[in-house]
Amino acid sequence: MKNLYIFIAVLFIPWSFSLAKYDEFEDGDDIMEYDDNDFAEFEDVSEDTVTESPQKIITTEDDEEEATVELEGQDENQEDFDDADTQEGDTESEPYDDEEFEGYEEKPDASHSKNKDPITIVNVPAHLQNSWESYYMEILMVTGLLAYIMNYIIGKNKNNRLAHAWFNTHRELLESNFALVGDDGTNKEATSTGKLNQENEHIYNLWCSGRVCCEGMLIQLKFLKRQDLLNVLARMMRPASDQVQIKVTMNDEDMDTYVFAVGTRKALVRLQKEMQDLSEFCSDKPKSGAKYGLPDSLAILSEMGEVTEGMMDAKMIHFLTHYADKIDSVQFSDQFSGPKLMQEEGQLTKLPETKKTLLFTFNVPGSGNTSPKDMESLLPLMSMVIYSIDKAKKFRLNREGKQKADKNRARVEENFLKLTHVQRQEAAQSRREEKKRAEKERIMNEEDPEKQRRLEEAALRREQKKLEKKQMKMKQIKVKAM
Amino acid sequence: LREPPFPPGRYKPPATETNPALEDPTPDYMNLLGMVFSMCGLMLKLKWCAWIAVYCSFISFANSRSSEDTKQMMSSFMLSISAVVMSYLQNPQPMSPPW
Repeated sequence: MKNLYIFIAVLFIPWSFSLAKYDEFEDGDDIMEYDDNDFAEFEDVSEDTVTESPQKIITTEDDEEEATVELEGQDENQEDFDDADTQEGDTESEPYDDEEFEGYEEKPDASHSKNKDPITIVNVPAHLQNSWESYYMEILMVTGLLAYIMNYIIGKNKNNRLAHAWFNTHRELLESNFALVGDDGTNKEATSTGKLNQENEHIYNLWCSGRVCCEGMLIQLKFLKRQDLLNVLARMMRPASDQVQIKVTMNDEDMDTYVFAVGTRKALVRLQKEMQDLSEFCSDKPKSGAKYGLPDSLAILSEMGEVTEGMMDAKMIHFLTHYADKIDSVQFSDQFSGPKLMQEEGQLTKLPETKKTLLFTFNVPGSGNTSPKDMESLLPLMSMVIYSIDKAKKFRLNREGKQKADKNRARVEENFLKLTHVQRQEAAQSRREEKKRAEKERIMNEEDPEKQRRLEEAALRREQKKLEKKQMKMKQIKVKAM
Repeated sequence: LREPPFPPGRYKPPATETNPALEDPTPDYMNLLGMVFSMCGLMLKLKWCAWIAVYCSFISFANSRSSEDTKQMMSSFMLSISAVVMSYLQNPQPMSPPW
Protein backbone atom coordinates (compact mmCIF):
# COMPACT_ATOMS: atom_id res chain seq x y z
CA MET A 1 0.00 0.00 0.00
CA LYS A 2 2.70 2.43 1.04
CA ASN A 3 4.67 1.66 -2.06
CA LEU A 4 1.66 2.37 -4.19
CA TYR A 5 1.20 5.72 -2.55
CA ILE A 6 4.85 6.60 -3.07
CA PHE A 7 4.60 5.56 -6.71
CA ILE A 8 1.53 7.72 -7.22
CA ALA A 9 3.26 10.66 -5.55
CA VAL A 10 6.26 10.25 -7.78
CA LEU A 11 4.03 10.18 -10.83
CA PHE A 12 2.09 13.14 -9.58
CA ILE A 13 5.10 15.49 -9.48
CA PRO A 14 6.12 15.32 -13.13
CA TRP A 15 2.48 15.22 -14.13
CA SER A 16 1.82 18.48 -12.34
CA PHE A 17 4.91 19.96 -14.00
CA SER A 18 3.56 19.13 -17.40
CA LEU A 19 0.16 20.50 -16.46
CA ALA A 20 1.69 23.76 -15.36
CA LYS A 21 3.69 24.01 -18.54
CA TYR A 22 0.82 23.30 -20.86
CA ASP A 23 -1.84 25.16 -18.95
CA GLU A 24 -2.92 27.03 -22.04
CA PHE A 25 -3.86 23.92 -23.86
CA GLU A 26 -5.99 22.27 -21.21
CA ASP A 27 -9.68 21.70 -21.61
CA GLY A 28 -11.87 20.22 -18.94
CA ASP A 29 -11.60 16.82 -20.51
CA ASP A 30 -7.86 16.80 -20.44
CA ILE A 31 -7.49 14.55 -17.44
CA MET A 32 -9.54 11.80 -19.03
CA GLU A 33 -7.79 12.12 -22.30
CA TYR A 34 -4.48 12.04 -20.59
CA ASP A 35 -5.16 8.68 -19.13
CA ASP A 36 -6.12 7.23 -22.47
CA ASN A 37 -3.56 8.76 -24.69
CA ASP A 38 -0.16 10.14 -23.98
CA PHE A 39 -0.36 12.41 -26.92
CA ALA A 40 -3.81 13.85 -26.27
CA GLU A 41 -2.47 17.24 -25.32
CA PHE A 42 -0.64 17.49 -28.59
CA GLU A 43 -3.89 16.76 -30.33
CA ASP A 44 -5.47 19.84 -28.85
CA VAL A 45 -2.45 21.88 -29.57
CA SER A 46 -2.30 21.10 -33.23
CA GLU A 47 -5.99 21.87 -33.72
CA ASP A 48 -6.79 24.89 -31.59
CA THR A 49 -3.90 26.75 -30.24
CA VAL A 50 -1.42 27.01 -33.02
CA THR A 51 -1.56 30.79 -32.93
CA GLU A 52 -1.38 31.26 -29.18
CA SER A 53 1.58 29.22 -28.14
CA PRO A 54 5.13 30.37 -28.15
CA GLN A 55 7.48 29.45 -30.94
CA LYS A 56 7.04 25.82 -31.93
CA ILE A 57 9.39 23.64 -33.74
CA ILE A 58 7.71 21.79 -36.56
CA THR A 59 9.76 18.71 -36.39
CA THR A 60 8.69 16.53 -39.24
CA GLU A 61 10.82 18.00 -41.90
CA ASP A 62 14.28 16.74 -41.18
CA ASP A 63 15.26 13.20 -40.47
CA GLU A 64 17.24 14.41 -37.54
CA GLU A 65 14.26 16.07 -36.03
CA GLU A 66 11.96 13.15 -36.56
CA ALA A 67 14.15 11.29 -34.18
CA THR A 68 13.74 14.20 -31.79
CA VAL A 69 9.98 13.92 -32.04
CA GLU A 70 10.02 10.31 -31.12
CA LEU A 71 12.44 10.93 -28.30
CA GLU A 72 10.52 13.88 -26.99
CA GLY A 73 7.21 12.15 -27.43
CA GLN A 74 8.42 9.72 -24.86
CA ASP A 75 9.92 12.23 -22.52
CA GLU A 76 7.22 14.81 -22.68
CA ASN A 77 7.20 15.26 -18.97
CA GLN A 78 10.86 15.93 -18.77
CA GLU A 79 11.11 18.08 -21.83
CA ASP A 80 12.32 21.18 -20.07
CA PHE A 81 15.25 19.36 -18.60
CA ASP A 82 16.15 17.18 -21.49
CA ASP A 83 15.95 19.78 -24.22
CA ALA A 84 19.62 20.36 -24.40
CA ASP A 85 20.29 16.69 -24.16
CA THR A 86 17.92 15.75 -26.93
CA GLN A 87 19.39 18.33 -29.26
CA GLU A 88 22.82 17.01 -28.61
CA GLY A 89 21.50 13.47 -28.42
CA ASP A 90 20.22 13.83 -31.97
CA THR A 91 23.56 13.42 -33.58
CA GLU A 92 24.57 10.71 -31.16
CA SER A 93 21.41 8.69 -31.52
CA GLU A 94 21.35 8.71 -35.29
CA PRO A 95 23.56 5.68 -35.77
CA TYR A 96 21.58 3.87 -33.07
CA ASP A 97 18.21 4.79 -34.47
CA ASP A 98 17.11 1.36 -35.44
CA GLU A 99 18.48 -0.49 -32.46
CA GLU A 100 17.61 1.79 -29.60
CA PHE A 101 14.08 2.53 -30.52
CA GLU A 102 12.95 -0.88 -31.52
CA GLY A 103 10.73 -1.25 -28.59
CA TYR A 104 9.52 2.29 -28.72
CA GLU A 105 8.67 2.56 -32.32
CA GLU A 106 5.46 0.65 -31.89
CA LYS A 107 4.01 3.09 -29.46
CA PRO A 108 4.51 6.27 -31.45
CA ASP A 109 3.47 4.41 -34.59
CA ALA A 110 0.37 3.22 -32.88
CA SER A 111 -0.44 6.64 -31.56
CA HIS A 112 0.33 8.20 -34.91
CA SER A 113 -2.06 5.89 -36.70
CA LYS A 114 -4.63 6.67 -34.06
CA ASN A 115 -4.16 10.44 -34.46
CA LYS A 116 -4.16 10.51 -38.28
CA ASP A 117 -2.31 13.81 -37.84
CA PRO A 118 1.32 13.31 -38.91
CA ILE A 119 2.52 16.71 -37.73
CA THR A 120 3.46 16.86 -34.10
CA ILE A 121 4.35 20.29 -32.98
CA VAL A 122 6.63 20.58 -30.07
CA ASN A 123 6.16 23.60 -27.89
CA VAL A 124 9.53 24.73 -26.81
CA PRO A 125 9.34 28.23 -25.44
CA ALA A 126 11.65 30.38 -27.46
CA HIS A 127 13.78 31.60 -24.64
CA LEU A 128 14.76 28.12 -23.68
CA GLN A 129 16.17 27.36 -27.08
CA ASN A 130 19.84 27.95 -27.11
CA SER A 131 19.84 29.97 -30.27
CA TRP A 132 20.57 33.61 -30.69
CA GLU A 133 18.56 33.67 -33.89
CA SER A 134 15.29 33.94 -32.04
CA TYR A 135 16.45 37.24 -30.59
CA TYR A 136 17.00 38.84 -33.94
CA MET A 137 14.76 41.82 -33.19
CA GLU A 138 16.78 42.65 -30.11
CA ILE A 139 20.02 42.33 -32.01
CA LEU A 140 18.58 44.68 -34.62
CA MET A 141 17.68 47.21 -31.95
CA VAL A 142 21.10 47.11 -30.36
CA THR A 143 22.76 47.43 -33.74
CA GLY A 144 20.59 50.46 -34.43
CA LEU A 145 21.65 52.02 -31.16
CA LEU A 146 25.30 51.36 -31.89
CA ALA A 147 24.90 52.92 -35.31
CA TYR A 148 23.32 55.97 -33.69
CA ILE A 149 26.17 56.32 -31.24
CA MET A 150 28.76 55.95 -34.01
CA ASN A 151 27.00 58.62 -36.04
CA TYR A 152 26.87 60.89 -33.01
CA ILE A 153 30.61 60.68 -32.49
CA ILE A 154 31.44 61.11 -36.16
CA GLY A 155 29.00 64.00 -36.64
CA LYS A 156 30.14 65.80 -33.54
CA ASN A 157 33.75 65.58 -34.62
CA LYS A 158 32.99 66.78 -38.11
CA ASN A 159 31.12 69.82 -36.86
CA ASN A 160 33.96 70.55 -34.50
CA ARG A 161 36.51 70.37 -37.28
CA LEU A 162 34.43 72.61 -39.52
CA ALA A 163 34.03 75.18 -36.78
CA HIS A 164 37.71 75.33 -36.02
CA ALA A 165 38.60 75.46 -39.68
CA TRP A 166 36.29 78.46 -40.04
CA PHE A 167 37.77 80.14 -37.03
CA ASN A 168 41.36 79.59 -38.11
CA THR A 169 40.64 81.09 -41.51
CA HIS A 170 38.89 84.13 -40.12
CA ARG A 171 40.91 84.72 -37.00
CA GLU A 172 43.36 87.13 -38.54
CA LEU A 173 40.75 89.33 -40.14
CA LEU A 174 38.73 89.45 -36.96
CA GLU A 175 41.65 90.20 -34.73
CA SER A 176 42.72 93.06 -36.94
CA ASN A 177 39.28 94.61 -36.80
CA PHE A 178 38.10 93.93 -33.28
CA ALA A 179 39.71 94.45 -29.92
CA LEU A 180 37.83 91.63 -28.27
CA VAL A 181 37.53 88.38 -30.13
CA GLY A 182 35.75 85.64 -28.27
CA ASP A 183 33.95 86.22 -25.02
CA ASP A 184 31.64 83.89 -23.21
CA GLY A 185 30.37 86.36 -20.66
CA THR A 186 31.74 84.49 -17.68
CA ASN A 187 34.89 86.49 -16.95
CA LYS A 188 34.58 89.65 -14.92
CA GLU A 189 36.88 91.56 -17.23
CA ALA A 190 36.51 91.81 -20.95
CA THR A 191 39.41 89.70 -22.13
CA SER A 192 39.62 87.89 -25.44
CA THR A 193 39.27 84.19 -25.05
CA GLY A 194 40.29 83.73 -28.67
CA LYS A 195 38.05 80.67 -28.82
CA LEU A 196 34.68 79.74 -30.17
CA ASN A 197 31.93 79.30 -27.65
CA GLN A 198 30.23 75.96 -28.18
CA GLU A 199 26.54 76.19 -27.44
CA ASN A 200 25.57 72.85 -28.85
CA GLU A 201 26.97 69.98 -30.83
CA HIS A 202 25.98 71.94 -33.93
CA ILE A 203 25.98 75.64 -32.91
CA TYR A 204 29.10 77.66 -32.20
CA ASN A 205 29.12 81.33 -31.16
CA LEU A 206 31.74 84.02 -31.36
CA TRP A 207 31.36 87.49 -29.91
CA CYS A 208 33.57 90.23 -31.24
CA SER A 209 33.64 93.72 -29.94
CA GLY A 210 35.79 96.78 -29.66
CA ARG A 211 35.41 98.52 -32.95
CA VAL A 212 34.23 101.96 -33.94
CA CYS A 213 30.58 102.25 -35.00
CA CYS A 214 29.38 98.97 -33.68
CA GLU A 215 28.56 97.79 -30.22
CA GLY A 216 29.51 94.28 -31.09
CA MET A 217 29.19 91.45 -33.54
CA LEU A 218 27.82 88.02 -32.77
CA ILE A 219 28.75 85.28 -35.20
CA GLN A 220 26.77 82.05 -35.02
CA LEU A 221 27.96 79.00 -36.90
CA LYS A 222 24.76 77.06 -37.34
CA PHE A 223 25.83 73.69 -38.64
CA LEU A 224 23.58 70.85 -39.64
CA LYS A 225 22.77 68.36 -36.95
CA ARG A 226 25.28 65.81 -38.08
CA GLN A 227 25.31 64.24 -34.65
CA ASP A 228 21.66 63.18 -34.88
CA LEU A 229 21.08 60.18 -37.14
CA LEU A 230 17.43 61.06 -37.67
CA ASN A 231 18.44 64.43 -38.98
CA VAL A 232 21.05 62.88 -41.25
CA LEU A 233 18.39 60.61 -42.73
CA ALA A 234 15.95 63.51 -43.11
CA ARG A 235 18.59 65.51 -44.92
CA MET A 236 18.92 62.73 -47.47
CA MET A 237 15.38 63.58 -48.49
CA ARG A 238 15.72 67.31 -48.23
CA PRO A 239 19.23 68.76 -48.69
CA ALA A 240 20.17 71.70 -46.52
CA SER A 241 23.34 73.64 -45.88
CA ASP A 242 25.29 74.88 -42.93
CA GLN A 243 24.74 78.53 -42.21
CA VAL A 244 26.83 81.31 -40.80
CA GLN A 245 24.76 84.04 -39.19
CA ILE A 246 26.37 87.36 -38.33
CA LYS A 247 24.54 89.96 -36.28
CA VAL A 248 26.17 93.36 -35.91
CA THR A 249 24.66 95.66 -33.32
CA MET A 250 25.27 99.26 -34.26
CA ASN A 251 25.59 102.21 -31.95
CA ASP A 252 22.60 104.51 -32.00
CA GLU A 253 24.47 107.44 -33.44
CA ASP A 254 26.20 105.45 -36.11
CA MET A 255 23.29 104.42 -38.25
CA ASP A 256 20.50 106.37 -39.85
CA THR A 257 16.87 105.26 -39.83
CA TYR A 258 16.08 102.85 -42.62
CA VAL A 259 15.09 99.26 -43.25
CA PHE A 260 16.63 97.40 -46.14
CA ALA A 261 17.17 93.78 -47.14
CA VAL A 262 18.68 91.89 -50.04
CA GLY A 263 18.89 88.16 -50.59
CA THR A 264 17.42 85.16 -52.35
CA ARG A 265 13.79 85.57 -53.22
CA LYS A 266 12.74 82.61 -51.12
CA ALA A 267 14.59 83.90 -48.08
CA LEU A 268 13.16 87.39 -48.44
CA VAL A 269 9.60 86.15 -48.75
CA ARG A 270 10.05 84.15 -45.60
CA LEU A 271 11.70 87.02 -43.73
CA GLN A 272 9.03 89.42 -44.78
CA LYS A 273 6.47 87.22 -43.12
CA GLU A 274 8.51 86.43 -40.05
CA MET A 275 10.42 89.57 -39.17
CA GLN A 276 8.64 92.32 -37.30
CA ASP A 277 10.45 95.22 -38.97
CA LEU A 278 10.43 93.93 -42.52
CA SER A 279 6.72 93.21 -42.39
CA GLU A 280 5.89 96.66 -41.07
CA PHE A 281 8.21 98.88 -43.06
CA CYS A 282 8.73 97.03 -46.32
CA SER A 283 5.24 96.35 -47.53
CA ASP A 284 6.03 95.73 -51.21
CA LYS A 285 7.03 92.36 -52.57
CA PRO A 286 10.73 91.73 -53.08
CA LYS A 287 11.88 93.47 -56.24
CA SER A 288 14.39 92.18 -58.70
CA GLY A 289 17.85 93.64 -58.44
CA ALA A 290 18.53 93.41 -62.14
CA LYS A 291 18.43 97.18 -62.36
CA TYR A 292 21.62 97.34 -60.37
CA GLY A 293 23.27 94.46 -62.10
CA LEU A 294 22.48 91.84 -59.51
CA PRO A 295 21.91 88.26 -60.65
CA ASP A 296 18.33 87.00 -60.94
CA SER A 297 18.60 84.89 -57.87
CA LEU A 298 18.78 87.95 -55.64
CA ALA A 299 15.93 90.31 -54.79
CA ILE A 300 15.63 93.53 -52.78
CA LEU A 301 13.24 94.62 -50.06
CA SER A 302 13.47 98.24 -49.13
CA GLU A 303 11.64 100.91 -47.19
CA MET A 304 12.18 103.49 -49.92
CA GLY A 305 13.96 103.79 -53.21
CA GLU A 306 16.51 106.20 -51.87
CA VAL A 307 17.83 103.61 -49.47
CA THR A 308 18.31 101.11 -52.26
CA GLU A 309 20.12 103.70 -54.32
CA GLY A 310 22.37 104.52 -51.47
CA MET A 311 23.14 100.95 -50.52
CA MET A 312 23.80 99.62 -53.99
CA ASP A 313 27.19 101.16 -54.62
CA ALA A 314 29.80 99.56 -56.83
CA LYS A 315 31.60 97.62 -54.18
CA MET A 316 28.44 96.22 -52.66
CA ILE A 317 27.21 95.14 -56.07
CA HIS A 318 30.55 93.49 -56.67
CA PHE A 319 30.28 91.54 -53.43
CA LEU A 320 26.71 90.52 -54.08
CA THR A 321 27.30 89.38 -57.63
CA HIS A 322 30.43 87.40 -56.93
CA TYR A 323 29.18 85.59 -53.88
CA ALA A 324 25.51 85.36 -54.76
CA ASP A 325 25.47 81.58 -54.27
CA LYS A 326 26.64 81.92 -50.70
CA ILE A 327 24.34 84.76 -49.65
CA ASP A 328 21.03 83.82 -48.10
CA SER A 329 19.99 87.23 -46.79
CA VAL A 330 21.40 90.58 -45.74
CA GLN A 331 19.27 92.87 -43.60
CA PHE A 332 20.04 96.41 -42.42
CA SER A 333 17.48 97.76 -40.01
CA ASP A 334 17.19 100.41 -37.37
CA GLN A 335 13.96 98.89 -36.08
CA PHE A 336 15.23 95.37 -35.67
CA SER A 337 13.47 93.45 -32.94
CA GLY A 338 13.72 89.94 -34.17
CA PRO A 339 10.91 87.75 -35.43
CA LYS A 340 7.29 88.56 -34.74
CA LEU A 341 6.37 87.46 -31.30
CA MET A 342 3.26 85.38 -30.95
CA GLN A 343 1.74 87.03 -27.92
CA GLU A 344 -1.61 86.48 -26.36
CA GLU A 345 -4.11 89.26 -26.81
CA GLY A 346 -4.00 90.58 -23.31
CA GLN A 347 -0.26 90.92 -23.17
CA LEU A 348 0.57 93.23 -26.06
CA THR A 349 0.92 96.53 -24.27
CA LYS A 350 4.34 97.70 -25.38
CA LEU A 351 6.21 97.81 -28.64
CA PRO A 352 9.10 95.36 -28.64
CA GLU A 353 12.51 96.91 -28.11
CA THR A 354 14.40 97.72 -31.25
CA LYS A 355 18.09 97.88 -31.91
CA LYS A 356 20.00 99.15 -34.91
CA THR A 357 21.26 95.97 -36.47
CA LEU A 358 22.92 94.55 -39.54
CA LEU A 359 22.04 90.89 -40.01
CA PHE A 360 23.82 88.62 -42.48
CA THR A 361 23.00 84.99 -43.24
CA PHE A 362 25.41 83.06 -45.43
CA ASN A 363 25.16 79.51 -46.73
CA VAL A 364 28.27 77.41 -46.54
CA PRO A 365 28.99 75.90 -49.96
CA GLY A 366 28.67 72.16 -50.36
CA SER A 367 25.03 71.91 -49.18
CA GLY A 368 25.78 69.51 -46.38
CA ASN A 369 28.85 67.79 -47.72
CA THR A 370 31.23 70.49 -46.62
CA SER A 371 34.86 70.00 -45.92
CA PRO A 372 37.04 72.24 -43.78
CA LYS A 373 38.55 73.71 -46.93
CA ASP A 374 35.23 75.23 -47.91
CA MET A 375 35.50 77.57 -44.98
CA GLU A 376 38.15 79.58 -46.77
CA SER A 377 35.65 80.60 -49.39
CA LEU A 378 33.68 82.44 -46.73
CA LEU A 379 36.49 84.85 -45.94
CA PRO A 380 35.55 87.44 -48.58
CA LEU A 381 32.07 87.50 -47.08
CA MET A 382 33.51 88.62 -43.79
CA SER A 383 35.20 91.45 -45.64
CA MET A 384 31.78 92.35 -46.99
CA VAL A 385 30.46 92.49 -43.46
CA ILE A 386 33.20 94.83 -42.35
CA TYR A 387 32.64 96.99 -45.39
CA SER A 388 28.92 97.12 -44.66
CA ILE A 389 29.54 98.30 -41.12
CA ASP A 390 31.54 101.22 -42.38
CA LYS A 391 29.04 101.89 -45.11
CA ALA A 392 26.10 101.91 -42.72
CA LYS A 393 27.90 104.49 -40.67
CA LYS A 394 28.60 106.70 -43.63
CA PHE A 395 25.21 106.48 -45.32
CA ARG A 396 22.83 109.23 -44.34
CA LEU A 397 19.39 109.93 -45.74
CA ASN A 398 18.74 113.31 -47.25
CA ARG A 399 16.04 115.57 -45.85
CA GLU A 400 13.21 114.08 -47.87
CA GLY A 401 14.21 110.60 -47.04
CA LYS A 402 14.46 111.42 -43.36
CA GLN A 403 10.98 112.91 -43.38
CA LYS A 404 9.55 109.85 -45.06
CA ALA A 405 11.31 107.59 -42.62
CA ASP A 406 10.03 109.53 -39.63
CA LYS A 407 6.54 109.47 -41.02
CA ASN A 408 6.71 105.73 -41.47
CA ARG A 409 7.83 105.16 -37.96
CA ALA A 410 5.16 107.42 -36.55
CA ARG A 411 2.55 105.57 -38.58
CA VAL A 412 3.67 102.21 -37.28
CA GLU A 413 3.62 103.43 -33.73
CA GLU A 414 0.16 104.88 -34.14
CA ASN A 415 -1.17 101.65 -35.56
CA PHE A 416 0.27 99.79 -32.70
CA LEU A 417 -1.25 102.14 -30.16
CA LYS A 418 -4.66 101.88 -31.81
CA LEU A 419 -4.50 98.13 -31.70
CA THR A 420 -3.60 98.09 -28.10
CA HIS A 421 -5.83 100.96 -27.10
CA VAL A 422 -8.56 98.68 -25.97
CA GLN A 423 -6.14 96.54 -24.02
CA ARG A 424 -4.54 99.54 -22.37
CA GLN A 425 -7.90 100.92 -21.38
CA GLU A 426 -8.83 97.63 -19.84
CA ALA A 427 -5.54 97.49 -18.02
CA ALA A 428 -6.03 101.00 -16.63
CA GLN A 429 -9.57 100.19 -15.60
CA SER A 430 -8.57 97.08 -13.76
CA ARG A 431 -5.82 99.00 -11.99
CA ARG A 432 -8.31 101.61 -10.80
CA GLU A 433 -10.64 98.93 -9.53
CA GLU A 434 -7.80 97.29 -7.69
CA LYS A 435 -7.02 100.55 -5.95
CA LYS A 436 -10.62 101.03 -4.88
CA ARG A 437 -10.82 97.53 -3.57
CA ALA A 438 -7.62 97.99 -1.61
CA GLU A 439 -9.00 101.19 -0.10
CA LYS A 440 -12.25 99.55 0.89
CA GLU A 441 -10.43 96.68 2.46
CA ARG A 442 -8.32 99.04 4.48
CA ILE A 443 -11.42 100.82 5.71
CA MET A 444 -13.07 97.56 6.64
CA ASN A 445 -10.04 96.33 8.46
CA GLU A 446 -9.78 99.41 10.59
CA GLU A 447 -10.96 98.41 14.04
CA ASP A 448 -11.32 101.84 15.44
CA PRO A 449 -14.80 103.08 14.41
CA GLU A 450 -13.68 106.69 14.52
CA LYS A 451 -10.89 106.09 12.07
CA GLN A 452 -13.24 104.11 9.91
CA ARG A 453 -15.66 106.94 9.65
CA ARG A 454 -12.92 109.38 8.80
CA LEU A 455 -11.45 107.19 6.11
CA GLU A 456 -14.87 106.64 4.59
CA GLU A 457 -15.48 110.35 4.47
CA ALA A 458 -12.11 110.94 2.85
CA ALA A 459 -12.88 108.34 0.17
CA LEU A 460 -16.28 109.91 -0.50
CA ARG A 461 -14.73 113.32 -0.88
CA ARG A 462 -12.17 111.97 -3.34
CA GLU A 463 -14.85 110.36 -5.44
CA GLN A 464 -16.90 113.55 -5.51
CA LYS A 465 -13.88 115.51 -6.69
CA LYS A 466 -13.29 113.04 -9.49
CA LEU A 467 -16.91 113.30 -10.62
CA GLU A 468 -16.67 117.09 -10.67
CA LYS A 469 -13.51 116.95 -12.75
CA LYS A 470 -15.16 114.69 -15.26
CA GLN A 471 -18.14 116.97 -15.55
CA MET A 472 -15.86 119.94 -16.12
CA LYS A 473 -14.07 118.10 -18.89
CA MET A 474 -17.31 117.15 -20.59
CA LYS A 475 -18.45 120.76 -20.46
CA GLN A 476 -15.19 121.93 -21.96
CA ILE A 477 -15.43 119.42 -24.78
CA LYS A 478 -18.98 120.51 -25.49
CA VAL A 479 -17.93 124.16 -25.57
CA LYS A 480 -15.07 123.39 -27.92
CA ALA A 481 -17.32 121.38 -30.18
CA MET A 482 -19.69 124.27 -30.41
CA LEU B 1 39.72 101.27 -37.58
CA ARG B 2 40.21 100.00 -34.12
CA GLU B 3 40.71 102.31 -31.17
CA PRO B 4 42.34 100.62 -28.21
CA PRO B 5 40.71 102.75 -25.49
CA PHE B 6 37.31 101.90 -27.00
CA PRO B 7 35.62 99.78 -24.34
CA PRO B 8 34.45 96.49 -25.81
CA GLY B 9 30.88 95.44 -25.14
CA ARG B 10 30.32 92.19 -23.30
CA TYR B 11 28.90 89.00 -24.65
CA LYS B 12 25.19 88.77 -24.49
CA PRO B 13 23.58 85.42 -25.05
CA PRO B 14 21.61 85.30 -28.27
CA ALA B 15 17.92 86.12 -28.28
CA THR B 16 16.85 82.50 -28.00
CA GLU B 17 17.30 82.61 -24.28
CA THR B 18 14.90 85.48 -23.92
CA ASN B 19 12.47 84.23 -26.53
CA PRO B 20 11.60 80.62 -25.85
CA ALA B 21 9.57 80.43 -29.06
CA LEU B 22 12.77 80.45 -31.09
CA GLU B 23 14.37 77.51 -29.33
CA ASP B 24 14.46 74.14 -30.94
CA PRO B 25 11.86 72.05 -29.09
CA THR B 26 13.25 68.66 -30.18
CA PRO B 27 15.14 67.68 -27.04
CA ASP B 28 12.21 68.51 -24.81
CA TYR B 29 9.70 66.63 -26.93
CA MET B 30 11.98 63.63 -27.19
CA ASN B 31 12.54 63.63 -23.47
CA LEU B 32 8.82 63.65 -22.81
CA LEU B 33 8.15 61.04 -25.45
CA GLY B 34 10.86 58.85 -24.00
CA MET B 35 9.32 59.01 -20.56
CA VAL B 36 5.85 58.26 -21.92
CA PHE B 37 7.10 55.25 -23.83
CA SER B 38 9.05 53.93 -20.84
CA MET B 39 5.97 54.16 -18.67
CA CYS B 40 3.93 52.36 -21.33
CA GLY B 41 6.60 49.72 -21.62
CA LEU B 42 6.72 49.22 -17.87
CA MET B 43 2.99 49.23 -17.23
CA LEU B 44 1.76 47.39 -20.28
CA LYS B 45 4.83 45.15 -20.51
CA LEU B 46 5.41 46.01 -24.12
CA LYS B 47 8.98 45.44 -25.19
CA TRP B 48 8.86 47.59 -28.28
CA CYS B 49 7.72 50.58 -26.20
CA ALA B 50 10.73 50.21 -24.00
CA TRP B 51 13.08 50.04 -26.97
CA ILE B 52 11.55 53.13 -28.55
CA ALA B 53 12.00 54.89 -25.22
CA VAL B 54 15.71 54.12 -25.31
CA TYR B 55 15.92 55.56 -28.80
CA CYS B 56 14.01 58.69 -27.74
CA SER B 57 16.33 59.35 -24.88
CA PHE B 58 19.35 58.97 -27.14
CA ILE B 59 17.86 61.39 -29.68
CA SER B 60 17.06 63.84 -26.93
CA PHE B 61 20.63 63.68 -25.71
CA ALA B 62 22.05 64.24 -29.21
CA ASN B 63 19.91 67.33 -29.73
CA SER B 64 20.32 68.84 -26.31
CA ARG B 65 21.80 72.25 -25.64
CA SER B 66 24.94 72.40 -23.57
CA SER B 67 23.19 74.58 -21.02
CA GLU B 68 20.70 71.87 -20.32
CA ASP B 69 20.75 69.86 -17.15
CA THR B 70 22.53 66.53 -17.49
CA LYS B 71 20.47 65.19 -14.63
CA GLN B 72 17.33 65.39 -16.75
CA MET B 73 19.00 63.52 -19.59
CA MET B 74 20.39 60.87 -17.29
CA SER B 75 17.08 60.32 -15.56
CA SER B 76 15.21 59.80 -18.81
CA PHE B 77 17.95 57.51 -20.06
CA MET B 78 17.94 55.44 -16.86
CA LEU B 79 14.17 55.19 -16.95
CA SER B 80 14.19 53.84 -20.49
CA ILE B 81 16.96 51.33 -19.71
CA SER B 82 15.05 50.14 -16.66
CA ALA B 83 11.92 49.75 -18.79
CA VAL B 84 13.79 47.50 -21.21
CA VAL B 85 15.37 45.46 -18.43
CA MET B 86 12.09 45.03 -16.56
CA SER B 87 10.27 43.94 -19.70
CA TYR B 88 12.84 41.24 -20.29
CA LEU B 89 12.94 40.08 -16.71
CA GLN B 90 9.19 39.67 -16.64
CA ASN B 91 9.00 38.01 -20.00
CA PRO B 92 12.30 36.68 -21.34
CA GLN B 93 10.88 35.72 -24.70
CA PRO B 94 12.27 37.59 -27.65
CA MET B 95 10.29 40.42 -29.14
CA SER B 96 8.03 39.40 -31.95
CA PRO B 97 7.98 41.59 -35.02
CA PRO B 98 4.71 43.37 -35.77
CA TRP B 99 4.30 41.73 -39.17
